[in-house]
Amino acid sequence: MKRAEGVLEFTDRLQVAAAPAAAVERELHLLIFALGPEPYAVPVAMVREVVRVADITRVPDAPLHIRGVMNLRGRVLPVVELRTRLGLEAAALTPASRVVVAEVRGRIVGYLVDRVVQITRLGEGSVLDAPEEVRTGSADAITAVARRGDQLLRLLALERVLTAGD
Amino acid sequence: MTAPDHPFAALLADYVAECLPLAEDVLERSLALERAWAGGEEAADLYGPLQGLLHTIKGNSAMMGLRPAQELAHALEDLAESLATGPARRRDGVEVLVRGTGLLADLVRSAAIGDSPDSAHYLEELRRFLDQTVDLPAEPARVERRGGDRREDADRMVTTVRVESHRLDALLEALGETMIAQAGLRDAVKRVTRGRRGTPEESGLDQAVLALGRTLQQLEQDLMETRLLPIATVFGRFTRLVRDLARGEGKEVRLEAAGGDTRLDKTVIDRMGEPLVHLVTNAIIHGIEPPEQRVELGKPAEAVITLRAAQRGDRVVLTVSDDGRGLDPAKLLHKARALGHAPASGTPALEEIYGFAFLPGLSTAERVSSLSGRGVGLDVVGLSIRSLGGQVSVTSEPGRGTTFTLRLPLTVAVLRSLLVEVDKERYAVPLADIAETLRMGPDVLRQAITQGTLIWRDQVIPVIDASHVLGLEVPWGVPACPEAPTKGRRYCVVLKAATHHRGLLVDSLLGHQEVVVKALDPTLGRPETIAATTILGDGRVACILDAAGIADGAIEARGCG
Repeated sequence: MKRAEGVLEFTDRLQVAAAPAAAVERELHLLIFALGPEPYAVPVAMVREVVRVADITRVPDAPLHIRGVMNLRGRVLPVVELRTRLGLEAAALTPASRVVVAEVRGRIVGYLVDRVVQITRLGEGSVLDAPEEVRTGSADAITAVARRGDQLLRLLALERVLTAGD
Repeated sequence: MTAPDHPFAALLADYVAECLPLAEDVLERSLALERAWAGGEEAADLYGPLQGLLHTIKGNSAMMGLRPAQELAHALEDLAESLATGPARRRDGVEVLVRGTGLLADLVRSAAIGDSPDSAHYLEELRRFLDQTVDLPAEPARVERRGGDRREDADRMVTTVRVESHRLDALLEALGETMIAQAGLRDAVKRVTRGRRGTPEESGLDQAVLALGRTLQQLEQDLMETRLLPIATVFGRFTRLVRDLARGEGKEVRLEAAGGDTRLDKTVIDRMGEPLVHLVTNAIIHGIEPPEQRVELGKPAEAVITLRAAQRGDRVVLTVSDDGRGLDPAKLLHKARALGHAPASGTPALEEIYGFAFLPGLSTAERVSSLSGRGVGLDVVGLSIRSLGGQVSVTSEPGRGTTFTLRLPLTVAVLRSLLVEVDKERYAVPLADIAETLRMGPDVLRQAITQGTLIWRDQVIPVIDASHVLGLEVPWGVPACPEAPTKGRRYCVVLKAATHHRGLLVDSLLGHQEVVVKALDPTLGRPETIAATTILGDGRVACILDAAGIADGAIEARGCG
């Protein structure tokens, strides 16, 4: 079966888990997080760590959707306001809020999420092209989704998050 | 800089580090020969060392298997020998020599990058030239390096260690972390003992933390010292730039340099090269008149560009002067008015008018220079110097020339600053950019807010509210335009640009602090009001203001929308 372009682009970047002898299907290794009620996922391979939200300092004139900078063990980490970047309303920080620290094109950037759900493995076959409204609503940062039980995970292409917002 | 896939990448880096200064020296000497011979001097003392240097480069290049550089160095040795012994062909030959030594420097420089310029054509031309030389001995005698030089080298080996610069950077980084940790410790101790005499245990702790702070400062000073390089390493690049560019422009220009032994932090050295190139390029293209015009004006046909460096306290002052036509204040003022940077009536002080030259749009080169491939405005120069924590100004005498003055910090890693608070955010303002801080009475404050001006030391200076320059518009939570943005303001920080002042209204002053500079992450773009970031003692990040940028008025108050 020929996979759609968006799916191909996403899965090709994923870490391929060693397939058990019985199964031949490739697996996606994903970190699931939530923005509001919606679950999102990014490849575990791109994530360096997940940290609690420290004080975030605003940077005047920073690009839109950069919430500010945060001290990550002596490194000044830019933090992306993922909610507004993905077209959602801004929300207050809660004790469950986390910063997902990822390395994208050699740059280390933090992404603010409402909560981190879990790490999971999914068969590649569960990946579908994102519905048109999801794709446009995210300004092309989400081009694929994955079925997980009765949920639909939105697969976030991290390298698209900043280019559109810059 | 090193080609990572080369098996001898590290060795290549060593090769470049050792041979590039030699190659640049060769170039200098061949230019000196050109001048001496043009003036009819024999300059016999020049070509001995020249050949010695070429010989060393040839040997080192051969050892690294860099054939083009080896062959070129060999051929240039022959050429220098032929010119030394045969004065008849010097007039044509010295030009070939200068071009060849320039090419050799390029070859050496590019060895580690792996993108070498083509030398085959030049070699062919050089051989043809040598073939026409009748009095060339079959096996030219080489002038070997003198014994004295070798002994000097041996002495240097004993007392110096070559360290890769990234290791120094890592040390500096680690030192910065330690200083931040010490500041955190100091704050914590203060919180514990606040408002009362500490117990003996507590004051013991306090003493220990202070002692740690002093040791760290000493360590910082020593580390800074090891990072200092003579500015001559930058000046060295200009000899050929000036020569080539002047030739291309049909002008006669001589470069003079003084104070090349003045030392600056490696980072500053690395980052000031480009702004200096812009200034020198501008001087040649725009400042200096064509030779015939100079003669008509009663000036010598050959113009002089002078680079001069000197240390003044904890700053290095660098000047770039030319004896060209100078800046036209009337034209500058006219342009500044047209762009809305200057009021339409009244004549500002001459100093202030020259300051306009650094505003965007005022000095953009009218012609695209063939060298840099693009016109570069002085605003870009100002920005790069300020991002180093430095300042730049210009003075000029119409018809007599222009002098740019750059004041640079010795180091960029630690910055003496004043911490201020604006709407509960803290910002660091470089002390070097502050003229004075004022506590504002209610009446003065009201006037400053409503009229945007303040009378300070008998002059009227513009005043701006910090939240207006630090743009509060954000797509989340915080109101885009607070109802009473100046509610908490009580202090005015008078910032100084090169020629004038501007007041910045803030809520409170939190005291002086040495902060460790962290460069802006590229993800943050290029905010025009922020020069860098730092981490304070409590672990929070604070922004360091581009104070000179705010003061020189390039950044306008933004409306709330």
